[in-house]
Amino acid sequence: MRATPSTPDSNSRSDRLISLWERMNRPMYYVILIIWAIIAIAPLYFTLVFSLKPVASIYDKPLYFPSPFTLENFKTVIESFDLFPRWLLNSAIVSIVVTVLRVLFCAMGGYAFARMEFPLKKLLFGAMLVSMMIPGQVTLIPNFLVVGPGILRNLKIGDTTIPTGFGLTDNLAGVILPGIVAAFGVFMMTQFYKSLPKELEEAAMMDGLGRWGIFFRVILPISQTQLLTLALLTFQGSWNEFMWPLVILRTPTNFTLPIGLQWFRGEYYTLYSIVLAGSLFNTIPILILFFLFQRYFVQGIATTGMRDV
Amino acid sequence: MKKIYFVMSIFVLLSLLLASCATTEAEPVIETVIKTVEVPVIETVEVTVIETQEVIVEVPAEQVEIRLSGWASSPSETALLESLLYRFSVENPDILVRYEPITGDYWQSLLTMIASGTEPDVFYMDIFQFPAYAQEGVLLPLDDLMAGTGTSTGDFIPALMNAFTYEDAVYGIPKDFNTLGLFYNKDMFDAAGLAYPTDDWTWDDLRAAAEALTDLSNPDRPIYGLGVPSDPGRFPIFVFQNGGSIMNADFSDTLLDSTEAVGAGEFYTAFRTDQVGATPADVGEGWQGTVFGKGQFAMVYEGGWLIPYLNDQFPNINYDVVVPPAGPGGEGNMIFTVSWSATVNCQHPEEAWRVIEFLTNEASQTTVLESGFALPSRISLQDSEYLANNPASAAIFRGAFNGAIPFMWGVVGSDVNNFMGQAIERVYLEGALVADSFAQAAADIRAAIEASR
Amino acid sequence: MTAQTLQKPRKRRRRSEALVAYSFLAPYMFIFLTFTVFAIGYAVYLSFTKYNLLRPPEWWGLEGWKRVLQDDLFLTKALPNTFKYVLIVVPVQTVLSLILAFAMDQKLRFRRFFRTIYYLPSVTSSVVISLIFIWMFSPQGVINQLFRLNINWLNDVRTAFPTIMMVNIFTTTGTLMLIFLAGLQDIPTTLYEAAAIDGANKIQSLLYVTIPMLRPVIFFVMTTGVIGCFQVFDQIYVMTNGGPLNSTTTVAYVIYKWAFRDTTIKMGQAAVVAIILTMIIMAVTFLQRRIIEGSGSAEK
Repeated sequence: MRATPSTPDSNSRSDRLISLWERMNRPMYYVILIIWAIIAIAPLYFTLVFSLKPVASIYDKPLYFPSPFTLENFKTVIESFDLFPRWLLNSAIVSIVVTVLRVLFCAMGGYAFARMEFPLKKLLFGAMLVSMMIPGQVTLIPNFLVVGPGILRNLKIGDTTIPTGFGLTDNLAGVILPGIVAAFGVFMMTQFYKSLPKELEEAAMMDGLGRWGIFFRVILPISQTQLLTLALLTFQGSWNEFMWPLVILRTPTNFTLPIGLQWFRGEYYTLYSIVLAGSLFNTIPILILFFLFQRYFVQGIATTGMRDV
Repeated sequence: MKKIYFVMSIFVLLSLLLASCATTEAEPVIETVIKTVEVPVIETVEVTVIETQEVIVEVPAEQVEIRLSGWASSPSETALLESLLYRFSVENPDILVRYEPITGDYWQSLLTMIASGTEPDVFYMDIFQFPAYAQEGVLLPLDDLMAGTGTSTGDFIPALMNAFTYEDAVYGIPKDFNTLGLFYNKDMFDAAGLAYPTDDWTWDDLRAAAEALTDLSNPDRPIYGLGVPSDPGRFPIFVFQNGGSIMNADFSDTLLDSTEAVGAGEFYTAFRTDQVGATPADVGEGWQGTVFGKGQFAMVYEGGWLIPYLNDQFPNINYDVVVPPAGPGGEGNMIFTVSWSATVNCQHPEEAWRVIEFLTNEASQTTVLESGFALPSRISLQDSEYLANNPASAAIFRGAFNGAIPFMWGVVGSDVNNFMGQAIERVYLEGALVADSFAQAAADIRAAIEASR
Repeated sequence: MTAQTLQKPRKRRRRSEALVAYSFLAPYMFIFLTFTVFAIGYAVYLSFTKYNLLRPPEWWGLEGWKRVLQDDLFLTKALPNTFKYVLIVVPVQTVLSLILAFAMDQKLRFRRFFRTIYYLPSVTSSVVISLIFIWMFSPQGVINQLFRLNINWLNDVRTAFPTIMMVNIFTTTGTLMLIFLAGLQDIPTTLYEAAAIDGANKIQSLLYVTIPMLRPVIFFVMTTGVIGCFQVFDQIYVMTNGGPLNSTTTVAYVIYKWAFRDTTIKMGQAAVVAIILTMIIMAVTFLQRRIIEGSGSAEK
């Protein structure tokens, strides 16, 4: 966004305001950014402080600084349950599979909605929006029935029972299945793809590529940033997901990390130092991922756009 | 980018494979189940409760699988339960117990399972929820099974056993219980030169002490004599102590607008109005147990769960417990209790009963008692050494006698709780009169009772 | 090859295009049909039943609907609260995240660092955020100490709901900022260059290049914002449970309360509320689309 003022002899008020704006621009941006940064970092900061203090001193001063300092809470989290590494692995499997599949399938769906014409398109798009509007509490039981025991039990023909559900209770695949595509993701990719200039695809079509070819060779590479955004949001949503895995998973060995960490919340009271320490195990992996993948959040079409298609 | 796709797809394939293989199968051999955990017990007796063991047990060809579930307590309590289950499996190799703890919203999960016909065989049933479940016939009646093993209802504390009896049938064996005790901060009493509370205290003693112990001189750290939350799990005992009740005998009507209830409400809320008591929110906490630990409430009415909490979180506090002071109508207390119940759709009721019986027999209950986590429901344990050595727990235990009433208001229980809590909140936050507020709550409760027919 | 492609009869081209489109949509359609359609049907069915989850549903006809439309909690607390919430939170979070995205789009130093920090609140689990906020907003907490106030944020009927709003805005702004950023980077620099050549200054290029190009993304953010805000539940569940005195009770919380939390479960009525909520959201989204996209929208 670099506009160069070119018209001469402009002494109008708006121009004076604009030059004032451009001078105050930078420091003002920094001020906004820093204030919001402090606000944004506060919860994580306090989580760190509380988890680094021994349990008995959580209410003692100083409150803003972990003194006395201890790593005991983290040790307690890891050692209290033999299954802790297993939970990490389960969470990783679920999140990675869901992310990869969902990004791919949502990009596909988004491209179809954004660029192709087909019968029932408006209806389907509307239905997709509506599906996001249904509150989760009422969809919990029907979804559980579909993924697990089946809508109708004991539906028999002769001696064989017809399965009306996937039978994936207590299975990580049952956690993954409903998440492989999401209306939110399709919607988002649709809106992103609508903003892409059509020239790219037209050029590719001239070269004889079909829709699938265009999708994999042109669209996906161009929309790196958007795909990564969706990937990050999906990973984070899946990693922190609680309600659905709680209902699907039964045996402790199959738990994902958030479910396992909840084990520290007691029936009558909670030792927050430990709970917060545990929650960091949930947060840190995503942060690391985010920081690492920032490199790919580059200027998408703006730089590569017109180059070589 | 292409390389990334390739790597990703391999990973996805691998993960899908792993995921689908991730179902656990019934293990014929009992393997390492639990970890060594040191469970500190009050009076500095360190008891190692469980061991890590690999045991090959001769397993009969056909094992009956029993699914057992409950909400998740702290890791140490979980370890305790798992050690009991381990002991059971050694003594009963023909039964495999699968422990499936629910670490989140217990009732939401349990209801989902019942609605879809996939509920566990044995599970926790809280007395508060019990009426609805008993009424709808989803629990297994246990009388015949009890006769089979010679377990008598008389072995258990009457108030607890009656709580889980519906229309003359037993639907759950109480596993433990809790009552409210008056916790008081000994150091603060000493500093104010007051005599410690005793089991013979009355409302007047309570009020006098609260006045003497309140110290609001430091605005950053106000100290109140008594915690008086709007919690419907605390206030009712004052109604009982005033000779009244919250509901009538068959839960068809509420007595919240009776003179006894209103009188109790006035006594209770007066603490805060007169600034000798406060709610935890007034001092920035969610729970009065924390405030008590911090030393900003000199006295609180709390259950026995406060004991391990103080042990972990505020080990330096000097406190003791007595039975709640009696009011004009005598003594009164509430019982919080949970039972082991079985589902009426259980495929193996005999085996399920054996699990329940084991978990509530004398040996198991003694173990639980000595860990300090809960009080036993068997009468035979009331003279145990542990209670003799732990006066705080003993006081909580004593609360179950002398007319304690279970914390349960019939099928509309949650509505009663909500309206009762809001009634007190209205007095606190909007300055409403107790009589008016309670009358409104009573009307709301009656509407809810009507709607539930 | 090209000449032949162009000469394919129109009808066949459209049909093959439709088939290709459906193949792109296949995974989505699979999930949509097995889960969403069934769930909606089930919810509609339940709304005409009396169902307490402990025994099978009984047909109740319109009784559930009657009861809900006369229910005090729903009409006087949940609905107004929810509307208030949407009307305040959606604009605030959209504008705030847009501003942040603009700021992050400038070539400022430490961009990566700032971006990670802003994303932090969205990444932390809502339970932890809620816990920390409860602590920060307590009467002796950080906020009161910093601003020398004496407000009992979560326990006062007047401030409890605004506090919930603040927590939510805080959590979602990071995510929305990311989405706007991704959208901003879609806009080709050539457009800005062309505008500059035409003599546009910064404000004009903002108004006439950036915002119009961002329209689809703004529509997305506002629509999902509205949908999400109408369904606000998590923070209320953790922080206030609908209180004090139902001042933080929302429609989604009522659904949960009637479906799972009360001892007298009213799953049928919960389904009624869910359907009503869905219809409200549909109406609002439709209106909003009209306003943002204008006539002759690119949507079609």
